[in-house]
Amino acid sequence: MNSYTVEIITPIRGIKFKDVEYLRCPGLDGSFGVMKKHRGGIFALSIGEIKINQNGANEYFATGGGFAEILDDSVKLLVESLEKSNEIDLARANKSLNRAKKRKIERSSELNDARIEASLARAINRLTISKR
Amino acid sequence: MANLKDIRDRIKSVKSIQKVTKAMKMVAAAKMRKAQERMEQARPYSNSLDEIIHHLLPDIDRNMLPLLEIRKVKRKAYLVVCADRGLAGAFNSNLLKVAQREIDAFGKDNVDLFCIGKKSRDHFTYRNYNIIESHIDFWAEMDFDNAMMIGRSIIDHFINGSVDEIHVVYNYFVNVAQQEIKSEILLPLTYDSSDSKGLDRLYEPSKEALVNTLIPRHLNVQMWKYLLESYASEQAARMLSMENATSNAQDMIKDLTLQFNKARQAAITTEMLEIVGGAEALG
Repeated sequence: MNSYTVEIITPIRGIKFKDVEYLRCPGLDGSFGVMKKHRGGIFALSIGEIKINQNGANEYFATGGGFAEILDDSVKLLVESLEKSNEIDLARANKSLNRAKKRKIERSSELNDARIEASLARAINRLTISKR
Repeated sequence: MANLKDIRDRIKSVKSIQKVTKAMKMVAAAKMRKAQERMEQARPYSNSLDEIIHHLLPDIDRNMLPLLEIRKVKRKAYLVVCADRGLAGAFNSNLLKVAQREIDAFGKDNVDLFCIGKKSRDHFTYRNYNIIESHIDFWAEMDFDNAMMIGRSIIDHFINGSVDEIHVVYNYFVNVAQQEIKSEILLPLTYDSSDSKGLDRLYEPSKEALVNTLIPRHLNVQMWKYLLESYASEQAARMLSMENATSNAQDMIKDLTLQFNKARQAAITTEMLEIVGGAEALG
């Protein structure tokens, strides 16, 4: 069997996936795929989409970035946030999108630009993935 | 024998104290359940982060990041995590004892203190220790930002060279009936360089970038862990000590009631004897 275990851990919950055949993560320089016997290592993840192919079925998650460690027969993803595509709260996502947009126009708050951009990207990401 | 009214008053006051301890126990139990839940949710994340760091560190050159630098230890900082309030058994005093012993062993003039919780601040202020910063009154609305804020100032203290080592003393939550006082070194990060597997591993975007983002995050998560563990332990300790207090009060009420009845009967007996004696004298 060319499958392995994926564990996704956030500060508030952890999910384990067994028999994963393919995993796609948002790396800093674009997405990368992981199959069994991938070379080990540690990768930084950016805001984006995690796709997991388990027993032939795909699942999609929105994430706020984090790290991935690829080990011999498992992958561990440490991410700041994780929302399954069909569990995303659209109202909340829209609200934070509007808030981020407003902040971007005003630029008056003491929040720095990087943070505004990041929250904007997170909101857009959530909305995109919710349409999966 | 004490007179009846005195005993009755004492029973009354013990009963009202018992009501208070019972209520406190209930409050602590509710808070503990919440705290324990939060703590258990956070544990896997902080453990995995710890693991990743320990896989990464042996491949890292210590000069890459100021946070990794090992200097000769001339000055230490201690982060002492306590509660704001007492009435939690020996929760605070045991921890403060351990912390003070360690600090005195190194020399109190060479230690900078960061106090979390009123009890910790008051203890060391009173004894004239060198307190740099204290954080109090935040437990009720404690969140990750608090942890980051506390973390930032203590980490800066290390980076700017004021201290060469940072220790943390806190209560670790083993289970409801047991808390363990732990003293850990937070910085510089320690690891066994023989752990290096010499594996050909990929680091993306680069080792430097990973270390630079992973380690500050790791420290924040550690700090968060200290707060959560300590808070859950505090509530557990309070719950237990209030339960003991309630059952002690119950015992006391029992003893006092017995005493009261004895005194009452003795009074009746004396009165009867007097009446009988009087009647005989008349007859």
